[in-house]
Amino acid sequence: MVKVLLVDDERAITDNLAPFVERAGFAVDVAVDGKDALSKAASFTPELIVSDILMPRLDGREMLRRLRQAGDWTPVILLTQVGESTERAMALEEGADDYLNKPFDPHELVARIRAVLRRARPGKPPLAAAQRLACGNLVLDRQSRRAYVGSREANLTPKAVALLEYMMTHPDELLTRDRLLDTVWGWDYPAGTRTVDTRIAELRRVLGDDPADPQYIETAPGQGYRFVALVEATS
Amino acid sequence: MKWRWLIAWFPALLGVALKLLGSSIWPENLPVLYLRGDAGTLALLGGILLSGLASAFLYLVQRAERQRRDDVAGVQTRTAEERRRFLRRLDHELKNPLTAIQAGLANVASTPLPAAQQAALESVRSQTLGLSRLSADLRKLAELETRPLERTLVDMAELLGEVVEITRERPEAAERELTLTVPQAPWPLPEVNGDPDLLFLAVHNLLTNAVKFTQPGNRIEVRAFEDSAVIVVKVADTGPGIPEVEISHVWEELYRGQGARGIPGSGLGLALVRAIAERHGGRVGLRSREGQGTVFTIRLPIA
Repeated sequence: MVKVLLVDDERAITDNLAPFVERAGFAVDVAVDGKDALSKAASFTPELIVSDILMPRLDGREMLRRLRQAGDWTPVILLTQVGESTERAMALEEGADDYLNKPFDPHELVARIRAVLRRARPGKPPLAAAQRLACGNLVLDRQSRRAYVGSREANLTPKAVALLEYMMTHPDELLTRDRLLDTVWGWDYPAGTRTVDTRIAELRRVLGDDPADPQYIETAPGQGYRFVALVEATS
Repeated sequence: MKWRWLIAWFPALLGVALKLLGSSIWPENLPVLYLRGDAGTLALLGGILLSGLASAFLYLVQRAERQRRDDVAGVQTRTAEERRRFLRRLDHELKNPLTAIQAGLANVASTPLPAAQQAALESVRSQTLGLSRLSADLRKLAELETRPLERTLVDMAELLGEVVEITRERPEAAERELTLTVPQAPWPLPEVNGDPDLLFLAVHNLLTNAVKFTQPGNRIEVRAFEDSAVIVVKVADTGPGIPEVEISHVWEELYRGQGARGIPGSGLGLALVRAIAERHGGRVGLRSREGQGTVFTIRLPIA
């Protein structure tokens, strides 16, 4: 059975979430803060960690940093909650595999756990930890927030870069519009469909991607989008 | 303000005039004054003295006024900041319990329940979703204050067209006469330098309110025009109107008027509209007559 470590200092959350994740078919252990999580990561050897960010003793971000510094690439899903979009951006930058805003539907958490596990390459850094992502002649430099098609820099709005980044770090995964709104925009918009579609159209235009014969972004009718090209981490 | 200083310096000016014209108005060494020196010099000195006293008085009065204004503005800013801080904390305190409740509900729902309990569960779940939405709106409000605006040139005519179109498609908007008027002559509506997603949200919130608070048969008009350096967007309806005592409160966070009872909403929609307009350097306004209708206004600086 795949082992998942749940890290949160709120007992009410772990008490309710642990049985739910167990029922979904995982073996679950619980840690109460970052320090506890690091020691459980060594003893319980989870295949995936779901961690809160704000915690006493050692917060989730620092826990993740220490894990990665030690060369431990166990996939991590961060539960962000401070009302700041920068926290979400940072979560990706620091090598979290995915993040979810509190409060969330527990079914969504399980879906994310499965998706991250499917994508994980045991012992190897995830795409989310790479500085540069490449896909054919499309290159995304995550540090400078610039994208290049061939030798030409793609003229993208910051939101489109964030969207491209999330899609490239989650390739071959069905990304619903709601999920993209929640993770990239940080909040749901009343007419979210339009908001996402507009930026996807911008990406396609700049990348020269034909929606009828997509090289990068495929439309899943009535559901959302999928980044279909093979993405590689480059240095 | 200026005229007060003019009056204060009038005696001195009068003194100068009397000094210059003095000898032609009265004879030298006017005996009634019983003073040494000529009347012109006395008038000049007297005038300057009076003006000096008047200026000192005026200065003190103005300083007191400024002080009072600063105090009021300071208190208002502080109150607004404290309210936002409170809302952020409230949001923070809501998130963890809501996460736990949602997980708990999912656990309960995973086993089959008798019909009565199933109904109770559904009710709790829908209430929890309502609270989650409130938490999401609180986060929007908090983020609006802090995050940088992602500005691009926004074609407001196009944006308004999209909002109106989306609103028309909603079943609740049925049987309302919803119109959009955007000028084409002598030139089209200029662009606004702003965050298109946020501006969309602001207009969308106003239109959603208009739909919520009107009845079938009512009119809703969206109008936009240019007024010197600003674009004015108006959302007007022939709905029930807002009682006068409520008008000054409707922009406040979590305020719900009498007429809003029984109508779903977080009480944050208009607070968001105002926050978005102000982040764009704009303003909001509202006029309403009970029994006749309401018009909301957003004014945005032109790019």
